[in-house]
Amino acid sequence: MVQREAIDADMTDKPFANGQATAATNLGADGGSRRLTDEEFERYSRQMIVPGMGKEGQLRLINSRVLIIGAGGLGCPAAQYIAGAGIGIIGIVDGDVVEASNLHRQVGHSTSRIGVKKVNSLITHLEDLNPLPTYVPYPFQLTPQNAADIISQYDLVMDCTDNPITRYLISDICVLLRKPLVSAAAVQKSGQLTVLNCPPTPQGRVDGKYAPCYRCCFRKPPPPSSMVSCGEAGIMGPVVGMMGVAQAGEAIKILASALHIPSPTTDSTPERNLQQPTLLIYTYDLDSAVGPYSFRALKMGGRKRNCFACGENSTLTLEGIKAGVPDYVQFCSVPTSKVDLPPEERITAAAYHTAKQSGELPEHILIDTREKEHFSFGSIEGAVNTPFSKLLMKAAAIKRDGSPASEILPADAKDSDAPIFVVCRTGLDSQETVEKLKELGLDNGGERRIVDIMGGMKAWKEEVDPTFPYI
Amino acid sequence: MTPKPPQGHFNVLYFATAGSYTSKNVEALPAPLPLKKLFSTLEERYEGIRASVLDHSLVTINLTYVDVDDAEEVVIQEGDEVAIIPPVSSG
Repeated sequence: MVQREAIDADMTDKPFANGQATAATNLGADGGSRRLTDEEFERYSRQMIVPGMGKEGQLRLINSRVLIIGAGGLGCPAAQYIAGAGIGIIGIVDGDVVEASNLHRQVGHSTSRIGVKKVNSLITHLEDLNPLPTYVPYPFQLTPQNAADIISQYDLVMDCTDNPITRYLISDICVLLRKPLVSAAAVQKSGQLTVLNCPPTPQGRVDGKYAPCYRCCFRKPPPPSSMVSCGEAGIMGPVVGMMGVAQAGEAIKILASALHIPSPTTDSTPERNLQQPTLLIYTYDLDSAVGPYSFRALKMGGRKRNCFACGENSTLTLEGIKAGVPDYVQFCSVPTSKVDLPPEERITAAAYHTAKQSGELPEHILIDTREKEHFSFGSIEGAVNTPFSKLLMKAAAIKRDGSPASEILPADAKDSDAPIFVVCRTGLDSQETVEKLKELGLDNGGERRIVDIMGGMKAWKEEVDPTFPYI
Repeated sequence: MTPKPPQGHFNVLYFATAGSYTSKNVEALPAPLPLKKLFSTLEERYEGIRASVLDHSLVTINLTYVDVDDAEEVVIQEGDEVAIIPPVSSG
């Protein structure tokens, strides 16, 4: 299964002599002449007869090496089509193990493989689908230290990861090693897909139109507080599946038409094959006026002159990355406004429960700021749901048009002076809520207690009620 | 389909976290509006949205990327479709 020796190092940097490569007329590096085996002929016949593909396109796929980073909601569907299409060498990177909560979307795993490393689980599935490719498992996380060594073994990279740190790392390495990058992402009900760095162009060249890198599109990551993961925000299976499949489609197109071969530094027509850089947005709404679903293809800019990674004067190097420059973790954890509540404005979930049980706790308002879907599975007795996003919006409206601050409180508590307790999912939004309510003057100059229940419903489950249906 | 904005307005579409922050997918705002005033206009409506969402997002007008930092002359016109597209990382 693991046959890295089989990787044909000869293919990496072979430029085309002819600037205008197309699937129909120009063979990929090597191999246009070989006969297909009977098994290949049979297996790939339906895609080979598609106009523009042919035997040449198929041989390019067979001679290609694709690295799929992430074996989750994007990586599973992407890998199925990459393997099915007959890509010769398929590397898969992921350090996680299969969990039951993955299976609604991660279609390359199975119930019987819960607890197995995702990489091994997915390869088991792919070998059954198509035994012809060579599958290379990397059952660990991509890091600044190992990224270049792994990525350098491949012709094209698919970013199927789930966090900004790895996304910036992958893009930077792809710029430096001149690898095309097919990048997708999805959360809740929307997905994004974009082809970056294709055709690959040397770092620092800005004298024409070149394809952008990830940093050209998204210069800086959002603050971690606003980052939502599929684990926290949820994800609809078909949304992420659609993006993974589309990702495989783009990768196959690039490889079959040999767009991945880097243009040589001296190429007199460097804009060869530059397509309009596009960001595809897929929105799938469960309940909105925008409609049942929508695709938008947004025209993106090209390489940015001042891009940190690919622009002129970029100081990014492979050696630097390996040695820890830039610091990706630091870059993606820009400090946000930190709430620092005094101890008297906080209470543990256990202490709240005890005080309530013993009757020590006076009558109070309990606001639960989780989204209504989370709230719908269960809540502390007496809690009223005001989702954090709604709360912020109401606070802004109150400031804008000077309506009474009590408008932000639940309808039947507007006239109350009772203490307010706030609980959320993990204990961050509730602190911000306390801060916000004080800012609006609802603490009556310090006379009314506004208290954060520490650690949110997560802590409630851990400290008070282990059967609580926490998601 | 997205409803057409009323006369004298443009539509702004909120994707991903922009949608969660505003609790909307789309809304109509008064046009014309200079692009450089877009973020402050939204901040007025949704306090905190600038730091949490907008500063990191892509902006398009009529499906084409615009550079908000370099937008002296760009004015959003009546009937335009503006989109706020935050990066999505999950997968």
